[in-house]
Amino acid sequence: MKRIESKLNTASAEFQANAAHNRRLVEEFREKQRKVRYERPQRDIDRLRKQNKLLVRERIDLLLDPGTPFLELSSLAANELYDGEVPGAACVTGIGIVSGREVVINAGDASVKGGAWYPLTVKKTVRTLDIAIENRLPVVHLCDSAGGFLPEQAELFADKYYAGRIFRNQCMLSKMGVQQVSVVLGHCTAGGAYVPGLSDYNVIVRGTGAIFLAGPPLVKAATGEDVTVDELGGCDMHTSVSGTADYPASSEEEAIAIARDIVAQFKRPQKAHTEWQPPEAPYYDPSELYGVLPQDIKQQFDMHEVIARIVDGSRFHEYQPNYGKTLICGYAHIWGYKVGILANNGVLFNDSALKGAHFIELCNQNRTPIVFLQNITGFMVGKEYERRGITKDGAKMIMAVSNCEVPKFTVMCHGSFGAGNYGMSGRAFDSRMLFSWPNHQISVMGAEQAANTLADVKIRQLRKQGVELSQADIDAIRDPVLGEFKRKQSAYWATSEIWDDGIIDPADTRNALGISISAALNTPIGDPRYGVFRM
Amino acid sequence: MHHAFKLGDAEHNVELSRSADAYRLHLGGEVIDIDLKTGADGRAWLTLGKQHLEVVIATRGDDVFVHLDGEAYQLRYEHPLDRLAAQSGTSAEDSILAPMPGSIVSVAVKAGDSVVKGQTLLVMESMKMETTIGSPRDGVIAGVSFEPGQTFDRDALLLSLEPQEKAA
Amino acid sequence: MTSPSFPTPEQVSAWPFDCVLVANRGEIAVRVLRTVQQLGMRGAVVYHAADRGTAAVQMADHAIEITGGTPVAAYLDGAQIIAAAQACGAGAIHPGYGFLSENKTFCEAVEAAGIRFIGPRPEQIDLMGDKVRARNFVEKGGFPVAPSAIEDDDPASFVERARAVGAPLLIKPSAGGGGKGMRIVRDLSVLEQEIERARSEGQRYFGDGRLYVERYIENPRHIEVQVLGDGQGGVVHVFERECSVQRRFQKIVEETPSPALDAALREKICETAAGIARSIDYRNAGTVEFIFGQAGEFYFLEMNTRLQVEHPVTEEITGIDLVAQQLRIAAGETLGYTQADVTAQGHSIELRIYAEDAARGYTPTTGPVLVLHPPQGEGVRWDSGILQGGEVTSAFDPMIAKLIVRGRDRADAIAKADRALRDTVLLGCKTNTAFLRRLIGHPAFVSGDVHTGFLDANPQIAAEPELPMQTVQALLAAASLSTRPMRDMADSVPDMHAAMGGWRN
Repeated sequence: MKRIESKLNTASAEFQANAAHNRRLVEEFREKQRKVRYERPQRDIDRLRKQNKLLVRERIDLLLDPGTPFLELSSLAANELYDGEVPGAACVTGIGIVSGREVVINAGDASVKGGAWYPLTVKKTVRTLDIAIENRLPVVHLCDSAGGFLPEQAELFADKYYAGRIFRNQCMLSKMGVQQVSVVLGHCTAGGAYVPGLSDYNVIVRGTGAIFLAGPPLVKAATGEDVTVDELGGCDMHTSVSGTADYPASSEEEAIAIARDIVAQFKRPQKAHTEWQPPEAPYYDPSELYGVLPQDIKQQFDMHEVIARIVDGSRFHEYQPNYGKTLICGYAHIWGYKVGILANNGVLFNDSALKGAHFIELCNQNRTPIVFLQNITGFMVGKEYERRGITKDGAKMIMAVSNCEVPKFTVMCHGSFGAGNYGMSGRAFDSRMLFSWPNHQISVMGAEQAANTLADVKIRQLRKQGVELSQADIDAIRDPVLGEFKRKQSAYWATSEIWDDGIIDPADTRNALGISISAALNTPIGDPRYGVFRM
Repeated sequence: MHHAFKLGDAEHNVELSRSADAYRLHLGGEVIDIDLKTGADGRAWLTLGKQHLEVVIATRGDDVFVHLDGEAYQLRYEHPLDRLAAQSGTSAEDSILAPMPGSIVSVAVKAGDSVVKGQTLLVMESMKMETTIGSPRDGVIAGVSFEPGQTFDRDALLLSLEPQEKAA
Repeated sequence: MTSPSFPTPEQVSAWPFDCVLVANRGEIAVRVLRTVQQLGMRGAVVYHAADRGTAAVQMADHAIEITGGTPVAAYLDGAQIIAAAQACGAGAIHPGYGFLSENKTFCEAVEAAGIRFIGPRPEQIDLMGDKVRARNFVEKGGFPVAPSAIEDDDPASFVERARAVGAPLLIKPSAGGGGKGMRIVRDLSVLEQEIERARSEGQRYFGDGRLYVERYIENPRHIEVQVLGDGQGGVVHVFERECSVQRRFQKIVEETPSPALDAALREKICETAAGIARSIDYRNAGTVEFIFGQAGEFYFLEMNTRLQVEHPVTEEITGIDLVAQQLRIAAGETLGYTQADVTAQGHSIELRIYAEDAARGYTPTTGPVLVLHPPQGEGVRWDSGILQGGEVTSAFDPMIAKLIVRGRDRADAIAKADRALRDTVLLGCKTNTAFLRRLIGHPAFVSGDVHTGFLDANPQIAAEPELPMQTVQALLAAASLSTRPMRDMADSVPDMHAAMGGWRN
């Protein structure tokens, strides 16, 4: 496997300008993360401190093995919604190492509205448990939630992927033999009570932890019974009388230490066998990615330069280097794991789509996980390409992607527009992980194009009614549409809506993929079987 | 912090993690690259940051003995679960409840007695079996609820201990 | 024989015993057995169960278990020991030091059983074992004893006799103890006043106003002289030992030659000791102890009629095996050499390794000997009765080993001692090696300026110094890597995640 020869001139003005631009984007991203993670109203922090509670990130730091990585997921979920008042969707999730085992952590953030569940809290939690199911990862739940946020109950209670799905997913995990431990650090009320209820092991903190279907006020209202929190669902009651919780703890620190000891008892899974070799750092510095990415979403760049800054030793075996060149296909290693890479290097033509479908089949046949690096404006349109069957060739690629058995990982490196998103394993196609870079934009078509299309429809309607519009009138119609479109095609909107598993700094891509691939191999890889490819 | 060592009168919280080819010591906010290569005779080389130090190490139970730079030191390991359990003067252990219904065979202590963890407090009989109730911790008996021959229900308060002062 | 050399096999074969039983334990049992076996004889030892795994028991040709209410009581049970000697055919018993080494009754019982007692004659033990008799005997022989005056001897002349003792002097209540009522008088013009005060204090504290007075030696040194006598008229001294560094009235560092003596003074004190031994036609190795004042005055303190703990320093500078000499003498040989044949070279220091915590008032420590790497090298000697895998218990004296070094001169010996202490690895039981290093590195010790109150006057030597941050880090690193729960936890992290470290996205 030979090293990619970078053609980048890191001393060029263009590189420098790109680097400055993208570093600024990363700084903005880091600043948003910082606010989401650490900025809370002082009274909320004081309230938790008074209850002898740790903040959620302190809890996670205690839970994780020291000196090990934590891949936080969807750190900016819900950031564009609820007036930005539900940072991170009031929960922290991710993949980390506890007692040497890869686990999913699902932690409520009681510093946000008492840890109340918002619709996006539920969505993030369901997604987190989906990740646990897909990758057979044990789950540690750090429970501290006031329950569902009642004003938004219609958006979080009844539907298939709403709150019930959390408990359904817990049961699926249990059926699969994937173990869960809940650490009850606050109240687990109503639905929240089932999180420990459906876990294999529960630890509960004396004094602050409580589990009940209805809290004392509701009990009083329903039956007239006067009862204290401790009597109703406290640590000693549940660990010595009801058996709902297993281990009493006198402090959060002790509870988390017990949880760590419980995880230490979990059987380590047999990893799926794929090609592996000792890892090697990329030859080209990953931080040069900032200079690779252009400032304009419409500007093309060579995806080889991106691959060279992610893979081991910057080494890449390119498949069909002269055919369908707008889609780069080939093999590389990431943290030692052999992967197949599909990376856009322009619009998808018939040949690039066929090449992609073929390469996906190859990867499935030789059990090689696939990494998709998206920068796609779509499949080529026009008479000639339709005549050549661009639709059916694109369909072949989508068929191959959809029925792919090897784990898939998608990184939104730049634009993702139109059906190309599907062919490159967009969110709907069950990539085990999907990460976005801060410069990423996503929509069914480009913002200008969409705004113009929408404005044209409006103008035609009005013209039919006999209204002639001035340029100012046209701008007044077009500009708000453009603004709204731009907002909703940004990486921040996408990640707020949990269309991805989080924005990452491009320089972190290698580690994020390494952790994701390692986790994915907990699940056996099945034999590939496809539907009908339209020939 | 999860682990601790006592060295002299001081307690040090530490963490150990593995790096690509050795280990790291997490101490306060500091992370130090460390490693230990042991020879056949028990002499070993300790890597501490950029330094290499010859040491001899022996362990017995939770005691670690280290000969370093001409002097011998003793450290005592404290497992996080032990340390955290000890830190909390757990209120539940103030009350000793009956594990099942039964009757008192004998009572070995009276209010005001100092007891040590594990010491027999009373013997009860239930299901034709004698069960010894031991003290859950060191402490002073606050009260004894029953006399020999008396019967009780499950979860009846058999004895109570004086509340413990919270460890600082 | 014209020099105090090691006996030849021919000589040994003429001795009336070919097996020696050591009625002792620990390092001295090992020490004696070593010479016995080097001489081609069988060495036997008695032991209590608490000593079963010790070096002496392992190296002895015969090891006979003895019992007792306490381990110490076993080693004091003369009848069992004599029976043991008879059982293994030992024709001589070496008592070591402590235990029965200066017990006249035992000595007599041994001789009565037809076994040679490797020591002095019973009456010599008896005389020197009684401090007052010994002092009077020595004084009568014209040797220096500290001037004193006892009021009861003649109350009328007490003040006058007290004045004759000379300043500085110490007034003590006859019934006293614990320092109460003691008064130091440096100016004789206030003597009568001070006597009256002491009398009233004695009356108040003890209900007894009687007093006695003795010369007060400020910051005294403890200097002793090794002697050898054959009980047949032959006596030599084997130079002095300085044993001033003491803690809780026990010696911890001994050396020879004494840094306090010049050649003339050395000759004088050594000849005084030899004279005392000669005056009783002493048989055996013995030690005459003196109290030595800063002005060079010295007074007889007592005579120990046995081998001393600190005998090795004498052996190191003279090349004489004192145990071999004891055996020769017990076998009936004469010294066969004169004072002129006894020469010395270099400087030797002995450091007593105690299982104790110097910083906590020298309280004894116990524990397993998990690792023992004695120091090695030219001029380094390690006399010890413990072995790796053994256990230091509270059953016996906390002295577990002696480190003896020999150097060209005192500075060389100190440097060697420091190196050897550094190299001494003993893990599992706290010892005083670090304290000893601080002690011998102290400027006063380096310049030889010590006295028996030196450690009391310098308590910071015993105090545990605060550890540098880097040492703490190294210790925590070593301990963490040696603690299974920590190491297992670290090792359980997958390779890739370990390599990534504490990465966060």
